[in-house]
Amino acid sequence: MSVTVPQTELQPGLSGTRAALRRNFWRGVARVLRRKPSRMVGVAIVALFLLMAAFGPMLYPAHLPRDNNALYAPPSLAHPFGTDFEGTDVLALVVTGARYVILTGLVTAVITVAAGTLLGLLAGFHRGRWDTALMRLTDLQLTIPGLPLLLVLSTVWKFQGPLAMGLVLGLLGWGGIARAVRSQTLSLRERGFIEAARGLGLSTTHIIGRELLPSMAPYIAMNMLIAVTGAIYAQVGLFFLGVLPFDSNNWGVMLNLAVFGGGALTSAAALPYLLAPLLAILLLTLGIVLVVDAMDEIFNPRLREE
Amino acid sequence: MKRLAAIAALAALAATAACGQVAAPAGPGGVYTTIDGAKQIDATAPINPFNPQGSTFVGYDAMSLAWPKNSLTDPNQFYPGIAQSWTTTPGQGEVVVHLRPDARWSDGKPVTSQDVRTSIGLAYTQGGSAYTVNAGAAGAAADIQVVDAKTIKVVQGANRSNTFLRNVLSTVVVPDHVYGKLLPAGFWATLTAARGTGPAADRAKAEITGLTQKVITFAPPQDVSAGPFVLERINPGAALLRRNPYFYDAAKIVPDKVKVLNYTGNEQIWNYLVSGKLDSAPFTAVPAAVMGRIKSAPGNAVRRGYSPVAASMAFNQAHKPYDNVHVRRALAYLIDRAQVTKIASPEAGTPSLTTTGIHGDSAKAWLGERLATLNPYKVDPAKADLELKAAGMVKRGGTWRMPDGKPWKVELHVPASFSDWVAAAKSITSQLNDHGIDANVTTSADYVLYLDELAAGKFDVGFWLMALGPSSYNIFQRLYGSANGWSLLAGRLSHSPPGKDGNWMGGPEKIDGIDPGELTNRLNLATPQEQKNIVGTLATVTNQQLPVIQIYDYVNTQFINTSRYTGWPPDGSEALRLPAGVWMQLGMIKKR
Repeated sequence: MSVTVPQTELQPGLSGTRAALRRNFWRGVARVLRRKPSRMVGVAIVALFLLMAAFGPMLYPAHLPRDNNALYAPPSLAHPFGTDFEGTDVLALVVTGARYVILTGLVTAVITVAAGTLLGLLAGFHRGRWDTALMRLTDLQLTIPGLPLLLVLSTVWKFQGPLAMGLVLGLLGWGGIARAVRSQTLSLRERGFIEAARGLGLSTTHIIGRELLPSMAPYIAMNMLIAVTGAIYAQVGLFFLGVLPFDSNNWGVMLNLAVFGGGALTSAAALPYLLAPLLAILLLTLGIVLVVDAMDEIFNPRLREE
Repeated sequence: MKRLAAIAALAALAATAACGQVAAPAGPGGVYTTIDGAKQIDATAPINPFNPQGSTFVGYDAMSLAWPKNSLTDPNQFYPGIAQSWTTTPGQGEVVVHLRPDARWSDGKPVTSQDVRTSIGLAYTQGGSAYTVNAGAAGAAADIQVVDAKTIKVVQGANRSNTFLRNVLSTVVVPDHVYGKLLPAGFWATLTAARGTGPAADRAKAEITGLTQKVITFAPPQDVSAGPFVLERINPGAALLRRNPYFYDAAKIVPDKVKVLNYTGNEQIWNYLVSGKLDSAPFTAVPAAVMGRIKSAPGNAVRRGYSPVAASMAFNQAHKPYDNVHVRRALAYLIDRAQVTKIASPEAGTPSLTTTGIHGDSAKAWLGERLATLNPYKVDPAKADLELKAAGMVKRGGTWRMPDGKPWKVELHVPASFSDWVAAAKSITSQLNDHGIDANVTTSADYVLYLDELAAGKFDVGFWLMALGPSSYNIFQRLYGSANGWSLLAGRLSHSPPGKDGNWMGGPEKIDGIDPGELTNRLNLATPQEQKNIVGTLATVTNQQLPVIQIYDYVNTQFINTSRYTGWPPDGSEALRLPAGVWMQLGMIKKR
């Protein structure tokens, strides 16, 4: 015999609870951010770069202006980071180049996390043949050396655009997350609340999507942010090595041209041209690390210093 | 305690080796420090000049019969090397080489004609220039005769080339008593058979080319050199060579030792130069700011001279709209070559006067007053507009489009590893963008890949090395050779259609009745006066048709340091492009 409770009776109470939870969550977030000002700085930095990626190219003309008489000009008010080999403002290059770098990072992170989480959850929850097959696939992926493969791929594929770049980096980076998510799933699936869900006859989709996934969301979210930094290093590194197509405002290309074309490591003239993209990468990484620090406390109650 | 001392000594030795430093006790002549511009050091490579990475150094312990002078127009001028003198018959049908009577190997044995013959035999296994088994190749040797112990005669085959002497005298000579065993018994009979045609000849060719790896990998236990130096030891950081007491002109050689430093890239060479470490360094691309620092180091100075190379932007004329000469001319009118050179190669380039196919310095010598009659293609957007309109291109919204209104995008390809080309290409595309032509730069990961893609016809426009003098044939072969469809097969010149047999330039076979490939081929045999006439015609055709747009002509920029040695070749010297070991052989280098 079963008792059916009309949804209409439950709904007001449920939605009220959810709203309260949401309010409490955001209050918690604000509290965690306020506790350490560095976390606010992190959020500000990440927001600044996201704004740069979204609106930066709109601030400048499609073809950046050049000053033929100011090649490798030193920093000044007009050019805070000097100019490049063509007399183009380096700050403008960094700002307009942010979109490619960040978009690639985000695409990589989404693919890495989506693929890694899905495969890890399936392997850990189903165990048995699923686990064996998916983990061998993961092992195979982990054994593929990313950088050499990218170097080889670059000879046959031009990686036109951040989406293609992000796709390749994402497909090369999900193995670690898949393994970690599987471990967590194996641990969580033995807990009482999963047992109870099974006992209630809830579907696998519900158990994975509504019971397991929220428990791992903080871990996954943090990995996603860290994957962004990894993707930025990887793509900038490839551009720096000169194996990817030229794009004058790509940060890696700027580093390459500053070192190999401008001699930035030997003379000071091209040093600002080298330092500007380096500083951008450093700042963005710092911002992400500070945000991850805040997220760690937000999602992990044991770290909260109430 | 003793054990500790031994460990400390070993650790010090290991540290020295790890740092790539070779301990070199200096004698009165001192240690001359330089780099090898042709290759980086691979300490595991055999001491073998046939190995591209071999641990031998041209001019120091690897010797040619003679050393080519840096002449503007004459490829047949040389400084003597192991050959004391040489004679040729008219048309270079035969070259007779007389070796130095007192030339000896570093083990005391005399250098003989047999050594030269063995060296030529080994060169056949590697192929190329005068020593090829390809039937009908122009300028291939047909017979090698030992006249006496110090005289050897090399006879040219039926398809003559006036670069034969140059190629013969460039032969690197190795000792027969070390390398002779690499040539199997009956090698010379096989070589004769390989020069023919048919299955037997093919088998003989395969037998000879099958020796390639055996020769390249051969590792003599020690260096046996006929040059002024002999390899003492080598590690990943540097090679140390000591003076060869048996060198025929030992009295002219001043340094006791030569240290050849290794490098991983230009930046390391710049740092060596900035620190004043190098007594001399061959051509190295240097940014203007770095050049300033190099010049400010005590004793450092720069020597500049003719460099028979130019950088150009080459078109695939099989691709639209580059099949239309008006489009190519329009682009030429829009490119400020001086600005490109200032950005890309301020220290090692001069903007090309115009497009002739020839380096600017030698163009004056080849063309004389005719040079002034050619179109200089000075920047002129109005003329460019007229040319584009003549090609049927249309301008909409400030941007030029194809005649059918479809977008036109100039994709300029360069290899990523050539930083001056990348900067030049970026500057060109910026200038084209300024004039309403959508242009961007696309790079290839490395030069070999770039050349492969270029040859496969994948690019519309790409950077191209040209004007490779001083031989007039070599100069125009870059424009009207195999890359543009003309190839010499079995002694017959043929033209392949665009997209076939490496024809990626896709130019027309005849232009106003002139066959530029045929004219270029005739340069192989022409007398100096005939060459001048042909060069004039080809330069005019090139200037009008623009299969390429010549951007800048390279300047050979070398570095010297006057703190320890003197007697350097002056600016523009004919010896400037030769290794410093040859300068020493010529008695130029003195201790300060």
